[in-house]
Amino acid sequence: MSLPQFRLLRPRSTEEAVSFLAKHAGNIRVLAGGTDLIPSMRQKLFEPEYVLDLRGIAELRGIRPKSDGAAEIGASTTLSAIEKSAYLRRHYPVLTEAAATVASPVLRNMGTIGGNICLDTRCLWYNQSLTWRKGCGFCIKKDGDLCHVAPGGTKCWAAFSGDTPPALLCLNAAIEIAGPNGTRRIPLQEFYTGDGVNYRRLLPNELVTSVFLPAESAGYRGVYRKLRVRGSIDYPLAGVAVVMKRSSGQVTDARIAMTAVNPAPLLVRRAGEMLIGKTVDEALAEAVGDLAARTAKPLTTSALTPEYRREMIRVFTKRAVLAAASN
Amino acid sequence: MSDFSIIGKPTAMIDAAEKTTGGGKYTDDLSVPGMLIGKILHSPYPHARIKSIDASRAEKLDGVVAVVIGSDAPNPYGILPVGHDEHALALDKVRYVGDNVACVVALSEAVAEKALELINVEYEVLPAYFDPEESMKAQTDLIHDNKPGNLEKDYHHAFGNPDEGFAEADHVAEARFIANEVTHAAMEPHSTLASFELNPHTGKLGRLTVWSSTQVPYYLQHKLSLVLDMPMAQIRVIKPLVGGGFGGKSEVIPLEIIAAVAARKAQAPVKITYTREEVFWAHRGRPRTIIDLKTGIKNDGSITCVKARVVQDGGGYCSYGVVTILYSGALLGALYDIPNIQYDGYRVLTNKPACGAMRGHGTVNVRFAFESQLDELAATIGMDPAEIRQRNLLKPPCITVNGLRVQSYGLPECIEKTVERSGWKQRKGKLPKGRGLGIACSHYVSGAANSIIRSDMPHSTVNIKIDRDGGVVVYTGASEIGQGSDTMTAQVAAEVLGCSLARVRVIAADTDLTPIDIGSYSSRVTFMAGNATLRAAEDVKKRIAAAAAKKMNCATEDLAFRDDLVFKKGSALPVVKKDQIEEAEVTQAGASVSGRVEGQILRGSLQQKRKEEGPKEWMTFEEAVVAAIDFHGALTGTGSYAPPQEARGGKHKGAGVGPSPAYSYSAQVAEVSVDEDTGEVTVHKVWAAHDCGRALNPVSVEGQIIGSVWMGMGQALTEEMVWKDGMLMNPGMLEYRSPSAVESPEVEPIIVESIDPEGPFGAKECSEGSLAATIPAISNAIYDAVGVRLHECPFTPERVLAAVRAKRKDKALNLTEGVDPTAPARFREHGGALCFNGKGPQRHALDPARREAPATARGTD
Amino acid sequence: MKKELVELKINGRTHELAIEPSALLLDVLRQDLGLTGSKRGCDESSCGACTVLVDGVAMMSCTLLAATCQEQEITTVEGVTEHGSLAAIQKAYGDWGGAQCGFCTPGFMMTVKSLLAENPDPSEAEVRSALSSNLCRCTGYSQMYEAIRAAIAAERQGAPSPQ
Repeated sequence: MSLPQFRLLRPRSTEEAVSFLAKHAGNIRVLAGGTDLIPSMRQKLFEPEYVLDLRGIAELRGIRPKSDGAAEIGASTTLSAIEKSAYLRRHYPVLTEAAATVASPVLRNMGTIGGNICLDTRCLWYNQSLTWRKGCGFCIKKDGDLCHVAPGGTKCWAAFSGDTPPALLCLNAAIEIAGPNGTRRIPLQEFYTGDGVNYRRLLPNELVTSVFLPAESAGYRGVYRKLRVRGSIDYPLAGVAVVMKRSSGQVTDARIAMTAVNPAPLLVRRAGEMLIGKTVDEALAEAVGDLAARTAKPLTTSALTPEYRREMIRVFTKRAVLAAASN
Repeated sequence: MSDFSIIGKPTAMIDAAEKTTGGGKYTDDLSVPGMLIGKILHSPYPHARIKSIDASRAEKLDGVVAVVIGSDAPNPYGILPVGHDEHALALDKVRYVGDNVACVVALSEAVAEKALELINVEYEVLPAYFDPEESMKAQTDLIHDNKPGNLEKDYHHAFGNPDEGFAEADHVAEARFIANEVTHAAMEPHSTLASFELNPHTGKLGRLTVWSSTQVPYYLQHKLSLVLDMPMAQIRVIKPLVGGGFGGKSEVIPLEIIAAVAARKAQAPVKITYTREEVFWAHRGRPRTIIDLKTGIKNDGSITCVKARVVQDGGGYCSYGVVTILYSGALLGALYDIPNIQYDGYRVLTNKPACGAMRGHGTVNVRFAFESQLDELAATIGMDPAEIRQRNLLKPPCITVNGLRVQSYGLPECIEKTVERSGWKQRKGKLPKGRGLGIACSHYVSGAANSIIRSDMPHSTVNIKIDRDGGVVVYTGASEIGQGSDTMTAQVAAEVLGCSLARVRVIAADTDLTPIDIGSYSSRVTFMAGNATLRAAEDVKKRIAAAAAKKMNCATEDLAFRDDLVFKKGSALPVVKKDQIEEAEVTQAGASVSGRVEGQILRGSLQQKRKEEGPKEWMTFEEAVVAAIDFHGALTGTGSYAPPQEARGGKHKGAGVGPSPAYSYSAQVAEVSVDEDTGEVTVHKVWAAHDCGRALNPVSVEGQIIGSVWMGMGQALTEEMVWKDGMLMNPGMLEYRSPSAVESPEVEPIIVESIDPEGPFGAKECSEGSLAATIPAISNAIYDAVGVRLHECPFTPERVLAAVRAKRKDKALNLTEGVDPTAPARFREHGGALCFNGKGPQRHALDPARREAPATARGTD
Repeated sequence: MKKELVELKINGRTHELAIEPSALLLDVLRQDLGLTGSKRGCDESSCGACTVLVDGVAMMSCTLLAATCQEQEITTVEGVTEHGSLAAIQKAYGDWGGAQCGFCTPGFMMTVKSLLAENPDPSEAEVRSALSSNLCRCTGYSQMYEAIRAAIAAERQGAPSPQ
């Protein structure tokens, strides 16, 4: 399967990149690690006229600890670099743990945090070759007007399948977006729409440039649990991130987020309320698991049945809560 | 000093360096001047009549050289003589999503792909069949007009007296088992390069050379000859390195024929390499199988009768189907002593890619069912699962009730060794909750005693040529596909000739150069090509011995060949002579060529001196070879192998499949743990004992055992082709989950050597027999761990969890879409609702339902 | 699309090539430079048979645009052999059965090379994790672990020693 033909733009600075985006908005795709875009272009899911390669922009790479304990991560920082960062491991362990589960080690050498945040939503009816998609008559996410997993509906349910965003949501991360009128910073939570097609709030002329981890989120215990069939390579079929802070056995703050079971990574509402001020025990963890499972709306977008994946959100949440509260 | 100098020692494969350096060439690595690229247009419909194909727009695209369609090569073919139901490209009908409709030949892959989108095919969509049991009820719109009820073939066998057998039984178990579909997923996608020469006499296209990733070059040559209407002698098939086969390259795959037809039409060399998705469509893997199994035992554990009804979901074409359905029944025998067997097998056509032969051809799914049921019965009578297997051993030499001849039988030792190494007796039933041990056995043929194409020709022939340089060249048609057949060939030749391995060069699988060998399938190569090599080497050795005996004034029987020397038996080689040999080699390395005697280039003064000395106690291999060439002229030998008449099976209909000159045996213990909250199964270790007759190359034998067990584990836990109304939902390495290094267990291979009386040096097969035991060993271990019997594989976490919850009577959750993994009734379709009614949404330019092609091929992004 | 001139540094040698901007590094290696050691086993960046080192970091050449690899040092399996002899890991893979059909082997060579460069004494779990980027269908990976252990030992002793 060959790639569609395109012109390659190789900017040296963010400014230059943004100007290219502005110039070719709507007909350009951003190439970071390429681990999702390149296979997708092979499948003719994208046939842009221009591809904007970010590899040449040094300023987009790197983990920059701030004096106040916060951290800024350039969007082109590889997942390997995050996984191996001692600083992040110490202060934001949930992120390094999540990063370490993405795909496989070699793919993490290529894939970036920005790419993982912007990862296209996935579905078995969508991530297929052009020939295959012809066979099913296309789908609502691309070229068709029918959703195969929720027929009759007009919404796309392709699942957001990044591993790091639930961790970042738990950390109250913000992202910086550069555009023609300068940069803006938004909480990551506001980035996702919940729709499988237009899954993120990013204008065609904008670029995610960095991720901010606030100082207040440093030092939380964190756990990420990922459902996969294989121990490597696989995208998550369900994923749960938990962060927690405790004081003399009682939870003082906690957040839970999930991935791969909705068109967006989602924070579990009221999970904190349920946990704060309590001592975590089996029953409480189970109750939180039940709550999380109600947030999950998996459909047949991936391997394993939706019922099972929802059930695993319950089990994994319970286990992650218990793990975060242990020792 | 062991009896052997070459075999029995761990030996690096003779082509290992080609592989580790990347220097070795696989088919897709080849190119020839003027080579074009072919790309195939596949059907978007599972079942449709082709009303018209309009390729005019594609032909006009710049860079397109030719567009090939079915009428360019209308002759039918198929791997089995009874199954000639395929065409190079669809003639009138397509029978699965992915069926081959047309082929574009162009200057580049990108151009060819673009041209595919410009071919307009008008289809008349037909009702399609996806479930074999539904398909069998079909009255109209048959997949093949000459197959009523979409039944490719059915067999009904009764051996002994099944009714009496069940009447004698104290306990009878009966259940339905389902094994879902798996595929080979060899790492190398299929590739074929076809090139015609111009005939100097006619000036037209003449001889054809095909380089292809095949396990069966001679069958390919044969089928090409049928389809292209060319004599076989005008077709040369060369097999470069092959990146794994496992059966997926053991028949003629569509691209091989299409490439040749395309090269003829384009009048230029054409290479086609499948995408990974196309590999899945070409398939020929292990069919989804329904097994209704009934087994009776007595209170002492002895089996009185087995009855199996097997339905295989064969896909749209016959492929090896008739053989597969026969193997499923035949190999109920020859593992245990079963006095009564009833078998009803149905190979059914459905609108999906054709299933064919895959590692453990035909036996694997039935073995899963049988070994699971045997475990259940052992539990019923409170007998140790290892013991019940020991109670039912054959007493060889014997002929089983279904006519299979068993001579060497290492199963008892296999069971004994796995039980011992795994600590079965001490640990079984005493592991912590959630952890368990399971045992199972299996066996496989060392080549089929009857070839696919009925004839009396040998199954393997090998030629050997030795020249004055002392280099031994072995010509074999056997196909190295990574299993080590070239190395085996070299080892056998070197062992017989008593020369070093480095002297032996193997020329393999080139139909112009190498004598016929029917291919690398059904684990036949070591046994059959090994025997042919052994005979060829014995043949040439006889000639060398005659000349050497003359030189050394002794009888040929008094000579021994070993370590690059020919010497009189009993005359222990003096150390000094060893040194002289080494000196000669040093000189050789120093390249001080000093003279010629009898045409042979001499190294140093040593040989001249030795020549003058006259008769000796010993000669170097080279000296003996020179003597033999001077004595006889050309020094060549030939050997062939055909299975003996006694091993060719009974007389009943279908008796030809199952018989083998020898069977391998395997016993395995798997240790697993099951997470009862998630259903996830972890295999910690598998102890796998395999009776391979004699291990010619232990490192390869161990590699084959581990690889088989590992592939079995894949089918047991993670691998499954998921279908939804004829659409393969996971046609790639991302979604078809072949295990990664992380979850692959430790496998302890245990070699058992039963020394077969007819195998080369006693060797039998080692590449397939172990696979079938792994699946039931794991399912039995899951039972030991958490007390659930899974009757459907793979044992995905949802299935395991559903079974665990049902057992605990937990809150009911429909985790498996209504299919009970402990008592499955039907195949599960992937959830959701594909509203496939032959007419999709109308928006996309390439939507097959569109009748008019739009101006632009670009979608709305 | 019009071809553009690029300069690629591969196995220590600089090549000037005219390629399309959409050309993948794997295709350029295999088709333009005849370096067919790197293999294509899938189309979705999953199998690892095409793994190369880019500035010493293991990456999949099927997922890299060749034009974006300029100014970087690319090492392919053809660059692993040392001074005309097999590197310890290549020898060990042969001796211990780490390669059967050999199609995935070039990718594993690169992955193992990068693993050992980063971590000369990896634990079994680290080896398993490092190898999990590459799929093999023949070996079940077991004999690869033995080969890697043997290669490490051989490197230490300065001489390859099987068995």
